[in-house]
Amino acid sequence: MFGKKTLWIMLIAIMLLIVACGPSDETSENEDNTGEDSSETENSGDDSEAEGDEEEITLILWHIETGPSGEAIEAAVDRFEEKNPNVTVEVSQQENDPYKSQLSVAMGGGNPPDVFHSWGGGWLKQFVDSDQVVDITDSVDASLYNEAALSVSTFEDSIYGAPVSMDVVPVFYNKEIFEEYGIEEPETYEDLLGIVETLTSNDITPFALANQTKWTGSFYLMYMAERLGGPELFNEAFERSGRTFDDEAYIEAGQKIQELVEMGAFPEGVNGMNYDTGQSRQLLYTNSAAMMVMGGWLVNNVRDEMPEFEEKLGFFLFPSIEGGEGEQNHVVGGVSPVFSVAKQSEHPEMAAELVNELASLETATQLSNNAGSISAVNGVEYEDPYIQEMSDILESSEAMQTYYDQTLPPELAQTHLDTTQAIFGLSMTPEEAMAEVEEKAKEVLAE
Amino acid sequence: MERTDDLKIVKVKNVPKRKNKDTWAIIGFIAPAFLIYGVYVIYSIFMTFYYSLFDWTGIDSNMVFIGLENYIALFRDGVFWTSIQNNFLLVIASLFTQLPIGLIMALLLFSPIKGMRLFRSVYFMPFLMSTVAIGILFIFIYEGNYGLLNSVLGVIGLESLQTAWIGKESTAIWAVIATVCWQFAPFYMILFRATIVGIPEELYEAADIDGATGWQRFKNITLPLLMPIIVTSAILSVIGSLKYFDLIYVMTGGGPNNSTELMATYMYKQTFTNFNMGYGSSISFAMFIIAFIVTLFILFGDKQRKGNDS
Repeated sequence: MFGKKTLWIMLIAIMLLIVACGPSDETSENEDNTGEDSSETENSGDDSEAEGDEEEITLILWHIETGPSGEAIEAAVDRFEEKNPNVTVEVSQQENDPYKSQLSVAMGGGNPPDVFHSWGGGWLKQFVDSDQVVDITDSVDASLYNEAALSVSTFEDSIYGAPVSMDVVPVFYNKEIFEEYGIEEPETYEDLLGIVETLTSNDITPFALANQTKWTGSFYLMYMAERLGGPELFNEAFERSGRTFDDEAYIEAGQKIQELVEMGAFPEGVNGMNYDTGQSRQLLYTNSAAMMVMGGWLVNNVRDEMPEFEEKLGFFLFPSIEGGEGEQNHVVGGVSPVFSVAKQSEHPEMAAELVNELASLETATQLSNNAGSISAVNGVEYEDPYIQEMSDILESSEAMQTYYDQTLPPELAQTHLDTTQAIFGLSMTPEEAMAEVEEKAKEVLAE
Repeated sequence: MERTDDLKIVKVKNVPKRKNKDTWAIIGFIAPAFLIYGVYVIYSIFMTFYYSLFDWTGIDSNMVFIGLENYIALFRDGVFWTSIQNNFLLVIASLFTQLPIGLIMALLLFSPIKGMRLFRSVYFMPFLMSTVAIGILFIFIYEGNYGLLNSVLGVIGLESLQTAWIGKESTAIWAVIATVCWQFAPFYMILFRATIVGIPEELYEAADIDGATGWQRFKNITLPLLMPIIVTSAILSVIGSLKYFDLIYVMTGGGPNNSTELMATYMYKQTFTNFNMGYGSSISFAMFIIAFIVTLFILFGDKQRKGNDS
């Protein structure tokens, strides 16, 4: 008797639980509604505009810009709110690495921001494929933007995001150290190896690198692979047309990195150092390391952390390798931020307006002049000679390689990053590493 | 135990009405807690298992049922085995360093040294610091080029031991485990200290009269009376280590080359970085099973011990 009754009550309790957990069902219904077709989302957009006169609209924006770049975003939001007095934008500034999981949880949980940041590429495409991103081809003016920049958020001729800034990855160096040892900017890889030898024999770490962060080491692999295999190598491997990720060029690129590691070109324990806590930059600032392959944002970091270092900072492009197919003026670079509208937004048209304001000439100008990034919007006049120079490099370069880890689908990107770290740690041979990437590529890209 | 059971049955037969009243009262008191437990524990475990049967990114509505394939992949996944191994390393290190150090610190606090109050605060400090702050602090201590640890080794003439502590696969996991122990030993110190305070002074006085040495006093009075709290601490420490995440995530992110991956960090990576909600869930569920079995073992062992005592 006793037992039976408790059992019943427990059963009822469990039923209650299941009912209590209903919200997840509701959100999935919502997803279905918003995801049905574009005409419906347009309708809901019209509704919101009609309501706009009486009702307050709140848009949520997630971005990851800090310092002066963050201020540029805030300024764009202020302009937008002035133009649309009935709209309030809740700006939420997120931290770089956790942001990625934050957004996927929000998307999956049915509660994403209306407008969100991305880097375009494979990561954004993941959300596009899951039908979470609004096609904004009709609401943005494609002619405003740099073609290469727009291409990272264009999938099958539809635009899913508007780019604001771009970055180039040169080799930064300490002019003072170069002068002291009579070193010239290298033009060939042989020159670079000579520099590495000169520096190590004088107890200076040639390259400052913090590779716990992984994407930092990926720059070296991308450049080596491009210089050896040419600008089409990655595209062929990615599109599964021609060469593959275990191509000889990739293996040789890995070997070249390990050769550098063995020469002592990187600091002790690179794989335990974190870029975000400034561990590689400290080596640069204290004159204990001479060079650093890093995105243009390094200038921004320097101005923030040690402004007096800026006058010592010079840069050159990664040299070409003799016998390789790549050229010195081919650059690795990327686009960030790209702003997109979430499908689950209740006011997609308003949100697209906000994207237009965020990716406007004004924002891009402010970002370029205050935060040191190259504009993805055409027609910006640069005040900063650094940025002007980098922008010129980008314009004169014949090919731009976008970051692997943001172009590839996330799972494959992770394999690329993990194996590259293992190459730096000498715990995998280049052959093993590239075979693992190729195997994952076959699995992921076949779909 | 058996006797009380008999009594109850007798009672039930005699006064059924009373029983009903009790039942409702019991349910009334248990229901709120059970509801919360049900939603946040039972339901979650069930859903984790459910998700683990799918090939699912976690962000779209396209869930493909693949049965136990995630688990088959898990068994073949070298990184998963590394992470289990690391988890058990952490369990062992926690049991055999955190608890003894906590005990030693607790005993030290009772010794007649001047300024004990200061030491009490100092000993407890690590546990009060935020984990992320500790992680970043130790990243700089372990740093290979200008880190504090290497500098100290250099000063005392042990240059040969200098290394990039968290940058090398062979040392990284030990460096992080040492940090975890540093953080949690004070927690056990407080537990032990509170128990020692509760031991009646008379026992020690009697021992003094019998001429017991300090070691005998510890072995025959303090330790036996501490035993229950030591068992509780051991359970907390084992479960905590099996589910551990924070410092690894902050200090190494599971690297270099997955050498410091734990089950929880690997689960996070698969679920949120690689968009493999299904696979991540199967790691989660495997974690649950492992922790469950280990707990059963400890509880069983404790029962045996209690049986031997009486």
